Amino acid sequence: MQVSRRAFLKYCAVASASLGLGPEELVGLEAALADPAGPSVLWLQGSGCSGCTISFLNYVSPSEPVDAADVLIKSANLVYHPTLSAGAGESVAAAVKAATNYILLVEGGVPTAFGGHACIPWSDGGREVPFQEAVRTLAEKAKNVVCIGTCAAYGGISAMGANPTAVKSVREAIGKDTINVSGCPPHPNWIVETLVQLLQGKTVAVDAQGRPASLFDGRRMCDQCPFHRTGEARSLGVRGQCMEALGCQGEVSPSPCPTTLWNNRVSWCVAAGSPCLGCTQPTFPGTSLLRSRGRGGPRGPGGPGGPRGGQN
Amino acid sequence: MPTVVTIDPVTRLEGHLRVDVTIDPVDGKPQVVDARVSGTSFRGFETMLVDRAPSEAPHLTQRICGVCSVPHGVAAAMALEKAAQCTIPENARLLRNLVMGANFIQSHILHFYHLSLLDYVGGPGMPPWEPQWNVDRRIGAEDSARFVDHYKAALKAVRQVNEMAAVFAGRQPHSPAFVPGGFTNVPTKAQIDEFRKYCGIVTDFIRSVYAPDVELLASQYPEYGQLGRGYGNLLAFGGFALDAAGTSRFFAAGRTTAGAADVQPVNPEAVTEQVACSWYDNSSTDRRPSDGATQAVCPKEGAYSWLKAPRYEGQPYETGPLARMAIGGLYRKGVSVHDRHRARALEAMKIAEALPKWLDEVKADGPVYTNCATGAEAEAAGLTEAPRGALGHWLKIRGGKIAHYQVVTPTCWNGSPRDDQQKPGPIEKALVGAPVADAKQPIEVLRIVHSFDPCLACAVHVCRPSDPAHVIVL
Repeated sequence: MQVSRRAFLKYCAVASASLGLGPEELVGLEAALADPAGPSVLWLQGSGCSGCTISFLNYVSPSEPVDAADVLIKSANLVYHPTLSAGAGESVAAAVKAATNYILLVEGGVPTAFGGHACIPWSDGGREVPFQEAVRTLAEKAKNVVCIGTCAAYGGISAMGANPTAVKSVREAIGKDTINVSGCPPHPNWIVETLVQLLQGKTVAVDAQGRPASLFDGRRMCDQCPFHRTGEARSLGVRGQCMEALGCQGEVSPSPCPTTLWNNRVSWCVAAGSPCLGCTQPTFPGTSLLRSRGRGGPRGPGGPGGPRGGQN
Repeated sequence: MPTVVTIDPVTRLEGHLRVDVTIDPVDGKPQVVDARVSGTSFRGFETMLVDRAPSEAPHLTQRICGVCSVPHGVAAAMALEKAAQCTIPENARLLRNLVMGANFIQSHILHFYHLSLLDYVGGPGMPPWEPQWNVDRRIGAEDSARFVDHYKAALKAVRQVNEMAAVFAGRQPHSPAFVPGGFTNVPTKAQIDEFRKYCGIVTDFIRSVYAPDVELLASQYPEYGQLGRGYGNLLAFGGFALDAAGTSRFFAAGRTTAGAADVQPVNPEAVTEQVACSWYDNSSTDRRPSDGATQAVCPKEGAYSWLKAPRYEGQPYETGPLARMAIGGLYRKGVSVHDRHRARALEAMKIAEALPKWLDEVKADGPVYTNCATGAEAEAAGLTEAPRGALGHWLKIRGGKIAHYQVVTPTCWNGSPRDDQQKPGPIEKALVGAPVADAKQPIEVLRIVHSFDPCLACAVHVCRPSDPAHVIVL
């Protein structure tokens, strides 16, 4: 944490501009980061696939910090991350328990079957601590609880179908609203930009589903999509055509993918010839990944206003 | 007096893992005399797929693992294409190989630098790399500093390899491009050129950074060229199809037994999953995955894991890059911690060298997709390789929907519990005999476990062991 935060501030100026923050608002960030007692970050993993972590590691920006290494070293004091932490065994429980002023990031859903023993993140004093207990306890003291990915935010893939481990969203598990950086996985910039705002001590404005409003601004993906109504794809394996007839979720998804693009802006799902599968939606993956075929048909499972949305 | 040591969690892997080892002096030197390996999370992914549209299987099963999502997409698509007797266009075969090749390389680099290296070298002096066990650090200050630099450089390399994959696949992880019938993205000349640019960057990193670092580590910790051997049984299903039917593969299928040089063929029908020590109904034991069941019974007498125990003709097998390289005749040194790291680096190089050649065969603007509708009733398997080893998807379609799905992942093979004959799994076996200098910081255990690159997110059947009488819980 003693490493240059100046570079981080430089980055924040750029990032904040894209978030619509003025220079005066950066004063708060400077103060927050200069404070040795500023918030640390805990990253937990529950029922999921680690894909959100991999997505975070794909973070890249033209200005400093340029990538995930820069974020880890120069900005966030990441006290624990199961995939990255050097420590093992009970030192993990000790580090987590010692944290006092922290932002809690949760990746993965919260399994509640088998008395919570379907997911044991660590042992503490010889006792296996169920993930649902860990999340509840740590959420109580957290400055903010942020769901990284659709599983944590809404249950997602981990709560699919028969849901044999009775996975709940973090919101359902802790009985408190969460900030939902949804996506399966979420875009790395969405994760970092949300974290930056919270490190500034700011309130993150969210949409009706708890998603950061600066990213999920209510516009449909279709409104931002360069392929919208550019000839209608009737089969997969075509380039540069509108995927609506194939069940694209773009008409109901508010994801900013067409403008943020993915993986250092090399591409995104619809540019790769696929319909949007609606992975940021509260109802993802529903009973079908695609909407009912045909324009004007009944809305598929990716529609807005799902029952499990969070607010903050 | 034996001491049972529990490490929970074992960090720096995907998912949740706990290891219990019994340490007892042998000839006056404390060593591991028994080990139990257990995942500590259970997802039940297979039952969640029932009643879904078959065409969604590649999308949904990619979410089994965020690190090796691509091979799951490939295995599911292969199974569906077999069920539909559908032949995909050449371009699709090539694009799948290119994206999967990139996926292997990112996984291998991530494994060495971010998941394994900190067992030997101190990281940057701040969280999440502190606190760390205070164990034998044999690499000098200068080399250690270089390793820390390489840790950061490797993060960049991993990110770049994912970008390389996303050029064709749309995004990483969880690309929507893998569909039964081929691939969704029609490649452009610009994409081919961009992918080629990344090939150069990636090859340079493997050749000038990754491979030399693996050798440097091996030279400083020579005893790990002997430790962690296990059974020496190696298995590969083969991966990266070189023809439309997938009969010829860049990495061959095969198996060897207890280090023998001769390679035997693999018959998928010889694979069964045993559950005597797993929390599943005993009536489902020793079944082939095509008829397997995931019927949880918890608690259950004698069980200590939700991981089933896959066996080939009743025998445990190790799977992974070392198995692939040995079976392909590309690596002949041995079976140990270092052999696993070396084989992984060698494989990354072999793939990096193949990528530009496969890229040459891709036809810009050429077809990538053919309609591939599975019938109302069908069954098939898709067998391929994932970064961590042999991967199989077995499915049945009834009434046009998925009625049965079983996935046997590499970590199920490697991290399996004891089987119906009480024979330990490969990692459990590999731990036995490991010397332990400090029972409170059994770094030797972590080094051996990490050499297998366990992926518990993938091991879809996993859960926790019952409680033995712990003496030390770490």
